[in-house]
Amino acid sequence: MDMSQYKALFLSESREYLRSIAEQVVALEQSPAERGAIDALFRGAHSLKGMAASMEYGDVVVVAHSMEDLMARVRDGALPFGAGVADLLLEGVDLIDALLKDVEEERPSSVPTDGYPARLAAYVPPPEKKAKKTDEAPEVSSPAAEPAPAVESAQAAESVPTPSAETERAKESAPELGGTVRVKTELLDHLINLTGELVTNKQRLLSIGRDLASPALNDAVSETSKLLRALHDEVMKVRLMPFEAISDRFQRSVRAVAKKSGKEIHFELTGREIGLDRGVLEQLVDPLNHILRNAVDHGIEDGEERERAGKPARGLVKLSVSRDRDRIHITVRDDGRGMEPQAMIDAAVRKGLITPEEGELLSPRQALMLSCIPGFSTAKEVTDISGRGVGMDAVNAAIAKLGGTLGIESEPGQGTVITLKLPLTIAIIHALLVQCGPIKTAIPVNAVQRTVELSRRQIETVGKRQMFQLDDESIPLLSLNRVLGLPLGRFPDGILPLFVTEAKGRRVGMVVDRLLGQHELFVKRLGRPLDGVTGLAGGATLGDGEIVTILDISELL
Amino acid sequence: MIAERLLVFSVGRELFALNLTEVCEVMEPQQSYPFAGAPPYYMGLINFHGNLTALLDFAQYLGAGSRPLPGKLLVIDTKLAHLALKVDAVGSIIDAQGITGATRSDDPLIEALLETPQGHLRLVRLETLLSSLEEDLRAAAPKSAPGGN
Repeated sequence: MDMSQYKALFLSESREYLRSIAEQVVALEQSPAERGAIDALFRGAHSLKGMAASMEYGDVVVVAHSMEDLMARVRDGALPFGAGVADLLLEGVDLIDALLKDVEEERPSSVPTDGYPARLAAYVPPPEKKAKKTDEAPEVSSPAAEPAPAVESAQAAESVPTPSAETERAKESAPELGGTVRVKTELLDHLINLTGELVTNKQRLLSIGRDLASPALNDAVSETSKLLRALHDEVMKVRLMPFEAISDRFQRSVRAVAKKSGKEIHFELTGREIGLDRGVLEQLVDPLNHILRNAVDHGIEDGEERERAGKPARGLVKLSVSRDRDRIHITVRDDGRGMEPQAMIDAAVRKGLITPEEGELLSPRQALMLSCIPGFSTAKEVTDISGRGVGMDAVNAAIAKLGGTLGIESEPGQGTVITLKLPLTIAIIHALLVQCGPIKTAIPVNAVQRTVELSRRQIETVGKRQMFQLDDESIPLLSLNRVLGLPLGRFPDGILPLFVTEAKGRRVGMVVDRLLGQHELFVKRLGRPLDGVTGLAGGATLGDGEIVTILDISELL
Repeated sequence: MIAERLLVFSVGRELFALNLTEVCEVMEPQQSYPFAGAPPYYMGLINFHGNLTALLDFAQYLGAGSRPLPGKLLVIDTKLAHLALKVDAVGSIIDAQGITGATRSDDPLIEALLETPQGHLRLVRLETLLSSLEEDLRAAAPKSAPGGN
């Protein structure tokens, strides 16, 4: 029987099982006594094995079978669920993931699985460490050592916030097929493209309707607009995927960094059900991973230092996702050592990134944003855990590319909060249209703090720079024409139109020839050879058919 | 290896050819919209069935000088690129069997010099053209400049 037609379905379902297993493993590690979750994990491995057997993928069967056996020992009480078991199961998840990749690319299995079943079969937990006598409740997660099963005591139940809600959700997240249809992502992309084209066409019809002054046509276009808005909203909903589609990686990433750095971390995740556009979600994995790894590696102090500061030995890292109308807010909060604005300024001056005079002008918020300048790192030593500490500039650039913003708040000794504000979708954006010489171009409004019409009299020259005052802040002026290599504008009436944006933690005024107002644009990629050009984020068609490019200001500056 | 069918076109009194599978449509010239940060041989962007497509003046790119002809637009297969070439004229489609001789060219952009009943053809190597355009765009990318107006 030709099974190839079922391959895509097998791969997609298997990956859902793997994601669910990984989530349950991490949740169980924090709450090892959750009987329901243990059963769900066993069932997950069993289902995966069954599906692989029906498709005759022997290697996947062997690995899943070993995982199932290991979980059977846990379920039957022969083995406590601890860090060692979690490690082996997560290794199995990685192995199967690699095997699935081979299946997908129709190549022979390149992953050796020989030793894995034997190691699982022979696994015995390390001897338990004698519990330290303390008034504190027993830790429910210990990255460095095998934790004992949770102690059933009223005191523990009161004093330790066990993440039972997390486990509940994890055990309920087994894939379900009832009432759903699997749709290829290309089809969803095509749907949003067609909807975007209709939005553009609606603008054309509106324009024609105005020219013809036909009430009947205007009514029809107005009705079409409403239907189109409803269609757009529905198509966008179809494209939304819950945050949990990527969240298991973060749980695992935090766990791995905590283990490697010998720190005790309690990781909390809220808002896993919040939906984001698939395109946004895919681009969030690396930036969020980097922020979380930084929080664990550099933010959270080691246990002794924390206790000296009067904090619990176990650090808290909290990832929260919420929705505010058409924006998604993602925050990463830690209760670590925090960041000291003056230390950031001193480091930036020392590295020659800013002058001491520039440093004096920075507000505390701007000082914290210095961490997003390429080459900036205040980490005392480079570690192989969170990289070289040079990634925050890449994180900031990636978020800006998605049309989002990154903000940092920090209280020395209390911790740091990094907030990402993102659009629900990257397909349709609001942008400021500007004229620069012969070129009309668009800047996403998230990159525009405000627009100003500046009189020449308000411009001061400081050294070689031209500056102006805004909200008691001295702001440098740049010409967007010059940045784009276009002829400089002339302003015979002495009024310079500009928009204020932020570059490298500082506000700058970008002078243009004319401000043309805000427009709703359907963003399109440019394809070869234009994609990848510095400063170009895409293009869009205006209502009259005119094509404009959309600039990525952070890349240009 | 030479493709089974080639599309013949002319630029600056020279005959060129592209693998027919690399071209998805031949269009009449249409309005294009300029964009910043591109070398002068880019005429702008056009809308090709909803795809924003860069329009290249192929004669200017080759340094052959534009001829006062309305010309035609060769739109490259959208799976390969979002690119259209403005050429002087589009000729016929020829079969590989019609090629009577082929020699290698020193120009990396030209895959082969072909002898055909239509005359000498220069077979364009599309991937080399795209890579070269990308390289030129990187070199011409806008750069930040201090100072005001």
